[in-house]
Amino acid sequence: MHALSLPTLAVKGARFKKVAHVFDLLRPILGAIVLAFIAYRLYQVLIVQQEYGADTWTRLLISGLIIGGVYALIAIGYTLVYGILFMINFAHGEVMMLGAYAGLFAFQAFNAIQVGGQAQTSFLNAYPVLAILLAFVIGMFISAAIGYFLEKIAYRPLRKAPRLVPLISAIGASIFLQNAAQLLFSPQLREVTNPDILRRGAGWTISINNANVIIPYTGVFTFVLSVLLLIALYIIVRKTRLGRSMRAVALDKKTAALMGVDVDRTISQTFIISGALAGAAGVMWGLHNGMVYFYVGFIPGIKAFTAAVLGGIGNLPGAMLGGLVLGIVESVGPAALGIDFQLKDVLAFVILIIVLTFRPSGLLGEVLAEEKV
Amino acid sequence: MIDYIIRAKEVTKTFGGLTAVNAVDLDVAEGSIYSIIGPNGAGKTTLFNCISGFYTPEQGDILFKGKSLKGSSTDVIASRGLSRTYQNIRLFSNLTALENVMVGQQSRLRENWLDAIVHSPTFRREERNSIVEGMKWLDFVGLLEFSNAIAGSLPYGAQRRLEIARALGNRPSLLLLDEPTAGMNPQETLRMTALIRKLRDAFNITIILIEHDMHVVMDISDRITVLDFGEKIAEGKPGEIQTNQKVIEAYLGSGGAALAQKYQRKKPQ
Amino acid sequence: MNTSLRKSIRPGATIGIVHIFFVLIGFNMLVAILFARVSGVKQPDAIPAPVYLMAYSITMGIWAGVAAAQKRKQEFRQVAFAGCVAGGFAGIMAGLLEFGLAIILVKNINVRDVLTVLSANFIKGTLFGMQPAMGVMVTVMLFALGGTLGGALVAFWNSTPFQAFLNRGIRFTKDSVQKAQGVTHGKNRLLWQIASISLLALAVVFLPLNWGSYWNYVLGTVGLYVVLGLGLNIAVGLSGQLVLGFIAFFAIGAYSMALLNAPLPYHLMWGFWPALVLGVLLAAVAGLLLGLPLMRLRGDYLAIVTLGFGEIIRILLKSDVLTAYTGGPRGIQNIGGPTIFGRPFVTDVDFMYLIIGAMLLAMFIYSRLQNSRTGRAWLAIREDETVARASGVNTVRYKLLALVIGAAFAGLAGAIFASRNQFTGPEEHSLMASINVLSLIIVGGLGSIPGTIMGAFALKGLPEILREFENYRLLAFGALLVAMMLSKPDGFIPSRRPKFQIPIQPETREAPKEQDHD
Repeated sequence: MHALSLPTLAVKGARFKKVAHVFDLLRPILGAIVLAFIAYRLYQVLIVQQEYGADTWTRLLISGLIIGGVYALIAIGYTLVYGILFMINFAHGEVMMLGAYAGLFAFQAFNAIQVGGQAQTSFLNAYPVLAILLAFVIGMFISAAIGYFLEKIAYRPLRKAPRLVPLISAIGASIFLQNAAQLLFSPQLREVTNPDILRRGAGWTISINNANVIIPYTGVFTFVLSVLLLIALYIIVRKTRLGRSMRAVALDKKTAALMGVDVDRTISQTFIISGALAGAAGVMWGLHNGMVYFYVGFIPGIKAFTAAVLGGIGNLPGAMLGGLVLGIVESVGPAALGIDFQLKDVLAFVILIIVLTFRPSGLLGEVLAEEKV
Repeated sequence: MIDYIIRAKEVTKTFGGLTAVNAVDLDVAEGSIYSIIGPNGAGKTTLFNCISGFYTPEQGDILFKGKSLKGSSTDVIASRGLSRTYQNIRLFSNLTALENVMVGQQSRLRENWLDAIVHSPTFRREERNSIVEGMKWLDFVGLLEFSNAIAGSLPYGAQRRLEIARALGNRPSLLLLDEPTAGMNPQETLRMTALIRKLRDAFNITIILIEHDMHVVMDISDRITVLDFGEKIAEGKPGEIQTNQKVIEAYLGSGGAALAQKYQRKKPQ
Repeated sequence: MNTSLRKSIRPGATIGIVHIFFVLIGFNMLVAILFARVSGVKQPDAIPAPVYLMAYSITMGIWAGVAAAQKRKQEFRQVAFAGCVAGGFAGIMAGLLEFGLAIILVKNINVRDVLTVLSANFIKGTLFGMQPAMGVMVTVMLFALGGTLGGALVAFWNSTPFQAFLNRGIRFTKDSVQKAQGVTHGKNRLLWQIASISLLALAVVFLPLNWGSYWNYVLGTVGLYVVLGLGLNIAVGLSGQLVLGFIAFFAIGAYSMALLNAPLPYHLMWGFWPALVLGVLLAAVAGLLLGLPLMRLRGDYLAIVTLGFGEIIRILLKSDVLTAYTGGPRGIQNIGGPTIFGRPFVTDVDFMYLIIGAMLLAMFIYSRLQNSRTGRAWLAIREDETVARASGVNTVRYKLLALVIGAAFAGLAGAIFASRNQFTGPEEHSLMASINVLSLIIVGGLGSIPGTIMGAFALKGLPEILREFENYRLLAFGALLVAMMLSKPDGFIPSRRPKFQIPIQPETREAPKEQDHD
């Protein structure tokens, strides 16, 4: 006989299996409870209390759509990068923040330039369309450049490293960019100078239930521009050569390289595109919300990532849908469920957890039930 | 009456529109060395993945020691005595060789984390046994002197053998080897063949292997199954497979098959 | 020669960009102030004397020179020349910047709206208080000088005589270490261990008494961050699961202590120990509940969900909604401390002992777990989860276990922290704190205990000492994280694998024979 006489079969862990199994059973019950809670609160708020009229709901919906459009733009950046590199570009929110600063300074400079003979007006108001266009170009260019260098310096050397390593590098880059902005531009809040045709607060007024609801110009502008950019991106990814290489690299880097796709270049271009979109989102943020400061990208960044996961990470329409859903839930949700408005961020994260519990692949993501071998 | 350790019935696995494994039957007798061969992309590794629980087949069932493997996760299957190695070596490359083998013993050790904190008698006994047995397996595959070396730093052939030692950690009754001699020189291949044979002879471990080296396959297999495009095209003893028309066609194409026939006819003279 | 020149210009340009960035955030002044302080000036001005700024320029030049001279196997003069070129190029970039700054100064353009540090005084200081043309020239020269120095330094370092000297030194140290090991490892090993342990124990007992309140406070915080770091290390370093909102568990521990052991809002006054135990348990339960739905998902999801969880906890604590229950933004005051043997713990010195105890406990549990079946399962999961599972590791169970034990550590640290400070509030538990903990274990070396201790000192202790760096701390920290990942992803003190002795005699070698299947 040998000295060892260990049993062949393990019984350890069987108990835990049961726990996990119990959780699987609990899941529908949990889901029912969550749904019942939501239904109950909705009933309370909409039917019993009737605190808000249709005008309020419209207002909330509008602001939700606007913020949702911005989230979608940022979320696209996360999803593009994740789809190709399988990493969370944690510094993406900071890329957006720097775009917002670029827009802010551009508007400031345009406002300082005087044009016209007798009637002295600033360049900003003399040629508002051109000024806005230029501001967006500058913002998108700066953010795209930051995205490009970010990838080149902080991510590219780590492409073969274990997954945690580039993520930590991204966290480091995020902290660095945030504090660099703070040190360069001071921690104070800065107000964006809007051109007169896009004054903040101004808008079309419609009447609902004898109450005036303002549809802000900046909001409409933001939403329309987001949709246009999203459509442009979709066309790039679906129809162009670049989009084809991106999809090829996302599927299989090695094979794509063998087929003559320049993988490094494609990844760089992906970062440039996602940076440009984030930059546009940053300039919009400044136009619509008015305030820019060094922390402005962080929370939207995390929210946008949530949106990307919500829609199914790696999935473009998913990120768009996720952004809009998150924006609407965030602005309508607290009122609809009768929760304090301060807790809107909590609501966003709770939704993330619920979605991951019940539908881990997100709203539009494919179900990856099996492990890759 | 033969005892079959694995009975797979009409196993089918598809990816999207592609059927990787199509209604494959597999009966492996206990204590045998069984080879699965076939051209690249024939579905061999997919079949392995189905047996070891990585994939759940859409249709069919796999019985291991008479019980279905359906719905069992890979760790449960491993604890029931089914181990495997991988085509592209997958060691825990930052752990030592011995630690790799000790991870393989996980499902058999009885200490839990509380034992570890208080160093209970169970813990001491289990750890000691684990080390002793791990060392013996390392010795068996010829890696005793590398027991404290980081696995990722070992030479290629040693890594292949270490993977086998890790797979032996849970004292399997069935061992799946995915291309154990891939990339080895003739000497290393001989050594590996001897090792596989010894595993069966000394420990009565049933072995199923995927292999491209026909010398190895014909040398050590008791039975062979040939897959092509996800379907089983032949099964039998090595001699039967060697002369099977379908197999030769699958490997060489129909023209090649004719050539091979000519060649074979000439050979006896 | 052409390529050689280009090779020198590249690092020069990089350092030039770094320098421009430094100037724009005012970092050059800070370095100059530091130089002034080192040379004995008690209270340096905000714009220190030109000589210290010149020292800064030379330092940057040396950096450029070293960067250019590295990886070169040429003779002395060539390497020094490469350094000179790099330094000179960086100097030219610096000079261009100063030229621009001088224009701003002369034309009196207001750029402070955008770049806040660029005041007139600052620009004058950067130009060494000289005429612009002179200042630019001096800058270029100083950079070039520094570059030459740096190149020469590298060349000297690589020169054969110096390397030989260095090797002798290393051999000597190695020999002495081996001799010392002969003393510590032979028959006297036990004696030696007893001696070192008792020495350490003496230090632990008596040092806090002499440190004074401030140091006990600072080091106490470091100690709690060691506990926290070890907890996170179980999740991240051992089992490879990235937890981003780890401070949430710390907050749960702190608030359990606060709510159960403070006069307001509930006046429960359970006493320290029950509150501590409950805090640890609640943190562990939170880890379990959070982990349960996530264990089958990919690691990134865990990262983002724990981040979200951390934010949920912070926002909830901060909001007005829960003010009545958790003190809201103002937090909870007057949290009680423990009483041991009738002696109430009040001062930072008292708590230092408690913290040392917690630290030892955490280290003990950590090291015991690390070298066990559990620890090996965690490491295997970290290395390759799929294969670990197929090797029979119940990955779901072990991942959850890591999260739960890690959360318990955090709860312990949080409870003690709240009790020591007699206060806890939502801002103590911000995302930045989570990232701090994560960074300290990474900088020290994932998974290693000495690494965690070093990281805690570096990240929680040093900032307390280097107060000047306050504003630049996080910046340096972000840059350090990236740089660490690029150059030393294993940290400064990487964890080592245990070595086992071979228990079987090679002569009587035989493979395990019997096979007991069911």
